Amino acid sequence: MGERRRVTPPKTADRLGRMLAIVPYLVQHPGSSLDEVAALYDVRPEQLRRDLDLLFMSGLPPYGPGCLIDVEVDEDGHIWITMADHFSRPLRLSRQEALAITLRAAELLASPGLPEAPALASAVRKLREALGPDTVGHDDAIATAEAGRPPAHLDDLRRAAREHERITIEYFAGSTAEWSTRDVEPEEVFSAMGNWYVAAWDVAVDDERLFRADRIRAVTATDDRFEARGLEGAGRALYTPTGEEVPVRLVLHPAARWIAEYYMTEHPVERDDGSLEVTLPTARLDWIAALMLRVGPDAEISSPPQAVVSVADLARRTLARYR
Amino acid sequence: MTGDERMEPLERLLNLVGLLLDTSSPFTFDQIRETLDAYRADNVDSAKRMFERDKDQLREFGIPLRLVDIDVWGTEQGYIIPKDEYYLPEIEFTPEELGALLVAAQSGGENTRAEQAARKLLYGAQGGVLAGLAGGPLASGSDARSALVIECAEAAQRRRRVAFGYRTSHGRSGERMVHAYAMVYRGGHWYLVGHDVDRDDVRAFRLSRFTSELEDRGGGEDPPSGFMAADHVQAGPWAAEAEDRAEVEFSPEVAWWAVGSFAGARQTGVADGGWIVAEVPMAEPGLLASLVLQFGPDAVVRSPDELRDEVVRRLEALDG
Repeated sequence: MGERRRVTPPKTADRLGRMLAIVPYLVQHPGSSLDEVAALYDVRPEQLRRDLDLLFMSGLPPYGPGCLIDVEVDEDGHIWITMADHFSRPLRLSRQEALAITLRAAELLASPGLPEAPALASAVRKLREALGPDTVGHDDAIATAEAGRPPAHLDDLRRAAREHERITIEYFAGSTAEWSTRDVEPEEVFSAMGNWYVAAWDVAVDDERLFRADRIRAVTATDDRFEARGLEGAGRALYTPTGEEVPVRLVLHPAARWIAEYYMTEHPVERDDGSLEVTLPTARLDWIAALMLRVGPDAEISSPPQAVVSVADLARRTLARYR
Repeated sequence: MTGDERMEPLERLLNLVGLLLDTSSPFTFDQIRETLDAYRADNVDSAKRMFERDKDQLREFGIPLRLVDIDVWGTEQGYIIPKDEYYLPEIEFTPEELGALLVAAQSGGENTRAEQAARKLLYGAQGGVLAGLAGGPLASGSDARSALVIECAEAAQRRRRVAFGYRTSHGRSGERMVHAYAMVYRGGHWYLVGHDVDRDDVRAFRLSRFTSELEDRGGGEDPPSGFMAADHVQAGPWAAEAEDRAEVEFSPEVAWWAVGSFAGARQTGVADGGWIVAEVPMAEPGLLASLVLQFGPDAVVRSPDELRDEVVRRLEALDG
């Protein structure tokens, strides 16, 4: 629910919304199991049973002659509902609900190579057509830019995560520019900031690692299954500090300010000339050096001195290629 | 159930919805009070107050509870929930479509409203929807505040004119007045695309760079015909369709990754030591130089000279 002040206490409003959505499902699916419905509507089975019991303990009052809504949960946990025809279809989507789901769909459609994309796009189209302009406004108002190139092995990675299969990957680490072959147990495959990631257990280091899917050159099946550890997927931080970071203080001139938006930086100070000072913690000075080579005159390192040295060193080694 | 027994608010609200949805003619408050136990309690005044509160709650919740004239003279009024306004229209979704909507609703972090919307659509689900739920959310959300995303989207949907504070990617701050046309999502960022009144041009504004709340400044305008919102959100600084090509060598270690990271690049040969030769669409030299330089000693520009010179000049400046 939203940011607006509500008259209804949240609990009653939430339960009302849930019942107005669940009762139509029960009418359409007589004999559904309590557990299945609870899972579908993201409510604990005990809570669902309590709500159903409470609501229909005495039956709703008669709305017309001989009309009495009744609900029963039998001993096998199946739900039977009768005389609830006026609740056989749910309440319309509000403008805010239609907007929320349309925005979410647009975000997901921006993930390259999403197998669900055609179904999602057509679902949103049907929804917009059915709800009409009163609810969804101008239907060209929410768009997704072209999603770009999908990672080569996305399908294999998602299948391995779904089936809990250990795989061997060839991975290019951006921070070290090195290839490695690793046995990993992929648990979550998700998209964030336009890229796909794999949250996996790295068997050799016996620790969790986050891999960018587009840097995986090869995936080999092993036929070994693993027990999931419940690694975090979508929504997690994309960089987990190791505790060995060095704080590097940078001065970013306007053309390099994107660094502060793109990486996790701290202690920003705006300067009068439009540049920005930030601290970028990093465990790898050679990675910072490569970043400084990239931005060239648009940024400077103010500390620590060894970071300044590593930039000069990398520049010298690169320059050697041209002589 | 006796009249003075206190009823759960949830039960009372649902009873009221059922009653007013089922009826074909409006109910006066007195008729409601006669029909529903919950309002028979106490005296008329307190029952009336309770009913007023319930009515507000239901309306707040989006239920179209209307007060209409009962007779043509308008002397008496009653309450009704018109069926055509209440019910979700019939939409025939395939199980795949419903599954995809649910996955979308669950992605991007906490958003009760999106999930609520998706769950309303489930009632007619055929088999297979539960299977689509496995695996959890697929995507993280954007980097913008969700309240701002909603406000901007509403402004675009309703073609409003809006004002807001904005800091460009180069750090220049200022006030903007924009006719909101559309929202575009790209690479984890939401952009508001619209007609910038002061610059008299269509511009895209990244929501994470807004420095103020959005202010509504009245009715806006429609976009010009043939307007494509996504065209106004840059795909990065890269022009893959450029006709000129630069030639760059990459070490065997980074070649696979590096060639793939330049849109429109392709391998053209193999040099000494297994180095890969690639053609890369030419861009502004400063820009292309910076993209090549991120690979350090693992990338070397062969041609054109202007790019090679730019790279060398930058490296000499850094080699203190």
